[in-house]
Formats: sequence, structure tokens, C-alpha cells
Amino acid sequence: MNAFLFLLPIALVIGAVFVILFAVAVRNGQFDDLDDPPERILHDQD
Amino acid sequence: MNPTPLLGARAGSGAGGTCPHCGTAVEGEQDAYCCGGCELAAAIIRGAGLERYYAERSAFPPRPEPERATHWRGVPVTTASDGSCETRLVVDGLRCASCVWVTEKVLQHTPGVAAATVSYATGRATIRWRPEETDLPTLAGRIAALGYRPRPLAGEATPDRDLMLRMGFAAIAAVAIMGLYEGLYAGWWYGAMDPRFAALFRWTSLVIATPVAIWCAAPFFAGAVAGLRHRVPHIDVPIALGIAILYVQGLVTTIIGQDGYLDSLAMLVALLLVGRLMESRGRRRAAEAATALAAAVPRTVRRSRENRIEIIPVEQLRAGDLIDVGRGEELAADGVIVSGSGLLRMALVTGEADPVQVAVGERVVAGAILVDGALTVWVSAVGDDTVVQQMARQVELAAERGAAPTSVDRIAPWFTILTLVVATGTLLATWWLIGLQPAIARTVAVLVVACPCALALAAPLAGASGLGAAARRGLLLRSSDSLRALATVDVVAFDKTGTVTAGALAVVAGDDATLRIAAGLERYSTHPIARAIVAEAARRGIPLPRGEHVRETPGLGIAGELDGENYRLERGEAGEVILTGAFGEAGRIRLGDVTRADAAPTVRALRAGELRVVMLSGDRSEVAQDVASHTGIAEVVAPADPAGKASWIAREQASGHRVLFAGDGLNDGPGLAAADVGIAMGTGAASSVLVADGIVSTDHLAPVLAGIRAARAMLRAVTTSQRWAVGYNVVAVGAAVLGLVNPLVAAVLMPISSGIVIWSASSVERRVRRAER
Repeated sequence: MNAFLFLLPIALVIGAVFVILFAVAVRNGQFDDLDDPPERILHDQD
Repeated sequence: MNPTPLLGARAGSGAGGTCPHCGTAVEGEQDAYCCGGCELAAAIIRGAGLERYYAERSAFPPRPEPERATHWRGVPVTTASDGSCETRLVVDGLRCASCVWVTEKVLQHTPGVAAATVSYATGRATIRWRPEETDLPTLAGRIAALGYRPRPLAGEATPDRDLMLRMGFAAIAAVAIMGLYEGLYAGWWYGAMDPRFAALFRWTSLVIATPVAIWCAAPFFAGAVAGLRHRVPHIDVPIALGIAILYVQGLVTTIIGQDGYLDSLAMLVALLLVGRLMESRGRRRAAEAATALAAAVPRTVRRSRENRIEIIPVEQLRAGDLIDVGRGEELAADGVIVSGSGLLRMALVTGEADPVQVAVGERVVAGAILVDGALTVWVSAVGDDTVVQQMARQVELAAERGAAPTSVDRIAPWFTILTLVVATGTLLATWWLIGLQPAIARTVAVLVVACPCALALAAPLAGASGLGAAARRGLLLRSSDSLRALATVDVVAFDKTGTVTAGALAVVAGDDATLRIAAGLERYSTHPIARAIVAEAARRGIPLPRGEHVRETPGLGIAGELDGENYRLERGEAGEVILTGAFGEAGRIRLGDVTRADAAPTVRALRAGELRVVMLSGDRSEVAQDVASHTGIAEVVAPADPAGKASWIAREQASGHRVLFAGDGLNDGPGLAAADVGIAMGTGAASSVLVADGIVSTDHLAPVLAGIRAARAMLRAVTTSQRWAVGYNVVAVGAAVLGLVNPLVAAVLMPISSGIVIWSASSVERRVRRAER
């Protein structure tokens, strides 16, 4: 059980990293258009 | 790879070929272009090395029309630090994915363009270019040459990044807390955890849950506060109450060393935010469509002063100035013509589609479009003083209606009161029967499971789904409130010109032989009558011959040689053109406004849906009756002026009906504002779009029907899922009163109830498809 004493903080840090990455992605506008990219992938071949 | 066209001829191929660009039948030559526009479009496409477009497209493009001069100089352009310019436009007429593809690639291959994307979903183009190599009018011209119509984009709703961030954080937090709580729940069966570790798990959960309750859920608290302050019932009140109780309970249980509802809290907030996001996305799309249409109003004018022409923003224009107006431009001010002549379409003001001939000395109004010719106008009124602005202001005044609380909002106070009563009852009864501690536990459980999460999700999810279903069929609605109003409509009133009819010049009568010769002469002309004649010949599948020695005299007519004979095409009586050959008159073609092709089937389907269909027209009674009988509309109110239409609608509403009104011109504005649901035809006046609840984005009437179907499907989906939600709350509260609910039960029940609501909301599209069959 003692493993949790360092596993839990590590998990929290990893979680925090993902939250920060998500925030950066949102601020860069990655989620602004959710309709177009799924269409685009079908047509862009070059 | 050898490109093989997927498409055959557009209509009756007969002898000869078809236009390789737009598929119109052409006489004689194989692979001859039907007009200069198509030839240019094809040259641009081939020049950019995009022949693949012809092999892959699934719909013919529109035939390129002479570009309607737009005031590109007034369009906002952002300049980056490296000197490149960027702007966003709307492109109309994109019919298939290949259209989008070819537009995007042609822009990318244009010299001076740094980057260009065209959205498949919204037809929005984002272009970045180097200003020293090219400019916006050139780029817009390239799009127009392909046959698509670029338009400036006025203000744009920014996507709600803040809401997305809150939702994402809540979702990540929910997963983390769920993992920690799973460990705690497991302890219920496998023997309690070491208290030190249980405390570690609980406190960690509390740390993660705190920003969820305070920051992520802030929009719900703000909504609840606003609702309470304005004494407007709002579903956010019981939701905020539920979230607050969940958090306080979690805080207290963590301190005293028990399991709380923190996992349910985070999941609930995340789900509610998903609902909010869906709602705001649908609303944003509709708002963008509306602003895009409104942007058609000119923002710059050409002022002529001391024989010099200067381009100035429309705000700087003063009464007494002289302005130049070219073909295809929209008048920016009221005034009197001092020189020139031309064909002016005043549909915006009068609602009539037919252009009228204007000459020196006549009064003209802002918003009119110069279809042909050139004018110099002495400005008499600008800005807010123009006739069109005065009408628009009346319309805006009429449109100022507060947003009605939704059905969910209306039951919210009862919901809150009932929850508090049941909670108090539980507290007192359990305290008296069993004791204080279980009494508090049960009361908290009641308050927790009574949180109307599923109820709050039902409307936004079904609403977003319904808005999407309507939008896919060509009706863009402003909000799910409009959709809700649309579901209960029982009278459908249509304007005549531009709504039941196409509102544009088209051939009404004329035999094939006359049409063939006329089209051969007019093939390369850009005059509206010429376009109408060629379009009709193409529609009937008459292969286009090629006239020789064609001479066009503006304002008079066109002459040329065809089949070795000389022909002249001239304007006859109102709405008629006369074709004269060597031996006198060879035929006549009547032009006018025709009913939309889908008007009759739409009216039939509406009446089958137990709706009363009425036509309100400003035109003479006989004309209106004629159009009505063609389309199967039994009830006609004509002639009715703008105020008359609005008061007719008000009378119907007073006798208990709920009225949908669809119209196009500014003269329909008061009616659109008065109706329970006002729908503007997208081809109509920009200002009518501003007051409307919805916009038909295609050249059809059927989207109105599709919208009603989507609205009814949405209403049924909402009703079904709200019943589920209420049923769940009753059962869960009952269980909580009896002491059967603990954090684990809540954590299992809540996602199940929300899942059922989501499944039910997603049934809107299925229901609409069933109605269409």
C-alpha cells in the first residue's frame, strides 16, 4: 500500500500535464471547428 | 490516370455535346463550352492542375454568373507581423465536397496566396495572402469565376473556448475521482482500507473536485443567480443547489472520514457542460449564418467630387454628395438620378422582383440593386435617414421580445420547492423515527439524487440534434427556442414574391424553337433576361446553338446571325421579348416570376401535417390567387401591405393560433417579427434576416417543411426524455427517502439516467427521416 504514497502524486502530476496540454490545445483553437476536419480527411490526398 | 466523368449530360443530350464544365447541352461541337463563364472557370481549374475535379465531382457546379460587385475594400482584414493579410469570407453555391476542394485548391494555386482553406461544413473560406502580390478583389474574382459566390462575412461568433476548457477539466477530473472512489467502494466488500490511505484517497478527490465545483460549475451558479435576481424561473437554480449540496456533503464527509458523492459531482458537472456546449454550438452556427447574410450591405461608396472619384466608407457620405453606381452594385443612400440610366431591382423595399427601368430625375432608394446600366446619384438621405433604415428600425422595435422561459425552466421552481419539501419531510420523519445521523444522511441523499441533471440535459441535447437536422435540410434556426416555437405552429403563412415564387426573372412562356434561337444569341450576354433565357433553354435540354456576329445594344436588345438567318431580339410589352427574323416576328418569350418547383409538394405535405397554409401577398388579388391555385394554397390574403400582414398575423394569434410566417423582403419584416416563428428566405433582404428566427439557406421552400418536422421530432424526443428524467428522479428520491441511496448507488444511477436521455435526444434525426418517408 505504501506504493500509493509516491504513485498518487506521480499520477496527479501526469494528470496535470494532460490538463495543461488540453488547455493549450483549446487556446490554440484546436477545438474551434469540430465539423470540418472529419470531412477534410476524406478529400485531402496531397 | 484517365479521368472519366461520373456525370452524364445535365439534360437531354440529343445531337452534339455538353458543356464540359456545367453539363448544359450544346449544339454541334463536341465539348464546347456553353458560355464564356464556363470556359474561364475550366481554364482556371485546368491551369491549376486540378483536372481531377471533373472526375470526382458528384454534382454539376452552378453556371458562372457575372459577379455582383461587392465592396471588398470595406471587409475587415487582419495584417500579420510578416506583412501578410488574412480574412474570412463565405462562399455560396458550394454543392458538393468537390466544389469545396476545387475552390480551396484554386485559391491555393493563385499567385500571392500564402494559405487558403474552405470549410466543408460551413462553406467559409479563410485566405492569407501577400498584399504586394495580390489583393482581395482579385481573390474574390477567382472564386466568382468558378461559379461560386463569395460574400463578405460580418461579425463572427467566437467559439466558446472557455466552456470547452471547463468541460474538459471536469471530464478529466471525473475520471480521476472515479478511479480513487472505486478503490474506496471496493473497500465496502473486501474490508475497509487502511484509514490512512482511505483519508489520502478522499482528500485527493476533494482537492480535484474543488475546482470542478467552483470553477467548472460557475456558469450554473451564474445562471442561478441571474434567474433569482430577475425572478425568472430557470433550471440552473435546482442544478446549482444540487451541485452545492454535493460539494458541501463531500467536504464534510472527507473531514469526518466517510465516503461522499464527489465522483458523481464531477461526472454530473462534465455532462451538464457537454449539454451547454452543444447548445452554444448550434446557436453559434445560426448566428454566423445570419451575420453572413447581413454583410451584403455595401460599406464603401464611390463619391465623385470635382470630377475626381474617391472611395470612402459609407459613414462619411453626406446628403448632397454625388455617388457613382455601377452594374451589380447596391445603392448605399437614397437620392435622385442626375445622369445615366439602368435597370433597378428594388425587391428590398417593395418586395417585387422585377427590375424597373430608371432614368434621370427619378428617385432611388438605398438597398436597391442596379441590375444593369450605370448611374450617378445625388444623395438626399444617408444612414439612418434612408427609407430602408427607417423600415428596418420599425422592424427591430417589433422584434424586441424577451426570451420566453422554456418548459423546463417553468417547472424548475416547482421542482426546487418539491425537493426542499421532500427533504425537510425526510429529515423530520427520519429524525423522529430513527435518529439524527441517518436523518442527515438520507436528507443529503434526497437532495443529491433530486438534482435535475438528466432533465436539464434533455432539452439542450435534443435541441442541438434538432437544429442540426434542420440545418442539414437547409433551414438555419437562431436558437432551440425558435425550434420549440416551430413545433407548436398550426398556421403557416407564406409571402408570395420570393417565397412561394423564386423572386427572380425566369421564362414563363415561349416555344422551344424561339427559345433555341434566343438562347443562341444571348449565350454570351450577362443581362438578366439573357441569363433567364439561357437557363430555361438549358433546363428544357435544348442544345445551345452558337450565334454569329452577335451585337448587343445596351437597353435595346441583341442582334446576330443563326442558321444563316439574321435575328433581332428586343424588349416588347412589359415582361416580353420579341424575336424578329428576316420575315418579321418569329416568336415571343414571356418572362416573369415563377413559382418555386418544390412549392406545390411542400404545401401538400404541410397540409397533410394538419397545418393551415395561407398566402399573404402585397400583390393584386388575381395574381396572388393564380399563384395560390398553382401551388394548392386555399387561403389567400391580398392585397396586404407590410402592416396588414403583421396585423393579420396578430389577429390569428389573438384567436389562439400559432403562426409561422416565411417571407423575404424588408417589407415582410414586421410580419416576420410579429409571427411566432419568422423565417427569412436567404435570397432576400439582409434586414429581414436580422429579425427572423430562421433562414432558409437554399433556393427552395422545402426547408420550411423540414424545419417543422425537425421541430416536432425534437419536441417528441424532449418529452420522452423528460418523462424518463422525471421518472428517474421520482424513483431515486423515493429510494433516498427510504435510505437506499448511498454514494455508490448514486454513481451508478446518474450516468444511466443521463445515458437514456442522450440516447433519446439522438433519436431526432431518425424521427425526421421516418417523417420524410
